Amino acid sequence: MIRYSVITILLLLAAFIVQQFLPAFTGLFDSRVLLVQLVFLCCAVTVGQPTMLTLAFIGGFFWDAQCALGPHGGDPEVYTQQVESLRFGYSILLFGGMGFLMQGIQPLFKQGKWQFSALLSGIAVFLYLSAEYAIINFVRGEFMLTRPTVLQMLYTSILTMIFSPVIFWMLFRVAKACHHSINPEAGRRRRAR
Amino acid sequence: MKPLNLIALLLFLGGAVWALTRSDRSVREIQNAYYSAMAPFLKSGSDMETRARAFLEETRHSKELEAELEATRAQLERLRLIESRFRSLEYENEQLRHSLEFKKASKFDVVAARVIRRNPTTWWQTVEIDAGSKRGIGTQLAVLSNEGLVGKIDRIDNAGERSSVLLLTDEKCQVAARVEGSPEVGILSGQRGGFNGDPMLRLRFLSANAAVRPGQRVFTTGRGGIFQPNILLGTIDSVEKGALDSEALVRPSVNFSDLGAVFVVLSADS
Repeated sequence: MIRYSVITILLLLAAFIVQQFLPAFTGLFDSRVLLVQLVFLCCAVTVGQPTMLTLAFIGGFFWDAQCALGPHGGDPEVYTQQVESLRFGYSILLFGGMGFLMQGIQPLFKQGKWQFSALLSGIAVFLYLSAEYAIINFVRGEFMLTRPTVLQMLYTSILTMIFSPVIFWMLFRVAKACHHSINPEAGRRRRAR
Repeated sequence: MKPLNLIALLLFLGGAVWALTRSDRSVREIQNAYYSAMAPFLKSGSDMETRARAFLEETRHSKELEAELEATRAQLERLRLIESRFRSLEYENEQLRHSLEFKKASKFDVVAARVIRRNPTTWWQTVEIDAGSKRGIGTQLAVLSNEGLVGKIDRIDNAGERSSVLLLTDEKCQVAARVEGSPEVGILSGQRGGFNGDPMLRLRFLSANAAVRPGQRVFTTGRGGIFQPNILLGTIDSVEKGALDSEALVRPSVNFSDLGAVFVVLSADS
């Protein structure tokens, strides 16, 4: 169990490295595969709440470390209405929220129905992007939502969701190697048959 | 709720509050540590990409390369002729300026750099270039391409070999701008996820009856302490008049989807 939890943390860190080399699909409104979020979501459904929260903290913390922008700079007399940045650390809460959402269907996953979790990972990514965009608009003080923005979020969610079976397959392999069962009820049912 | 889960939740919330209350300076320190840890992977990744690109270039059809070489030679000869003419004009201009006691034209001291990758974010518009503090680059310096203003330096890595550029299309990159052939000045910035596919810029705080029309060019004013004056930003696409002020949509002069070589302005005399 501990070995499996440690490996999920390492997998999340590895996702940060791979994410750097995943390009945006310009033909699909600059959508991209959000590997870090995907690995987190898939791991979140296979672990207990304390490990999920640890993963959410690490994921959100490093995601913000990667994306945070520096101070505005320049003469404040000229730039009187400076754009407020989102607070460093807001992603930790978003990751936590997504993790709780995934854990909501953990009973289904434990029965071996991982397909529901794969589908929910796409929905969770869409909600994550929507929440992030809503926060940006809230901080800006002006709401604007265009069709390309919605399509960008939609394609990003779909592209990310497509890769979830691969991540689940990896997690099953890791769990097997660690002699740990991530869907014990399905295993019991198989043995009963 | 199980006691262990409750403790984990409290620790998580405590950690989130701790992160949310970090100052700008400590966020920068955290970022530097993060990118220092990432540096070996990023470096080997971009090396591999460069090698792959070189390999693809090599395997291009030799006939095509030959034709390209011929065209480049012809272009070079033409440019040599233009350059010799330009030199004589420059000399003549210098003489005339001297006799009229004109102020010297602005000159930029720039560092050329290559865009090595786009940062993997959905909303934030940043790219990474292969030049850092080792080549004299600091934060808040203007970045140009041959088409106009690209953005400004946002962050420099610890090793001093790379920098992150905040693009003009991000709403945090604000530029004091003027409209050519009119007294109108305003603040130009992008908008995250705000436009239909094309990256467009918003020129705000123009006067209510701003006499600007589509097609007019927009330049930097030089005010604000970051960007030098008279750098091309784009052309006016449309104007929206309000009761108190007007706003114009500006099409950027730079093609942000195809950024290759850029120039960081180290200093400029005005």
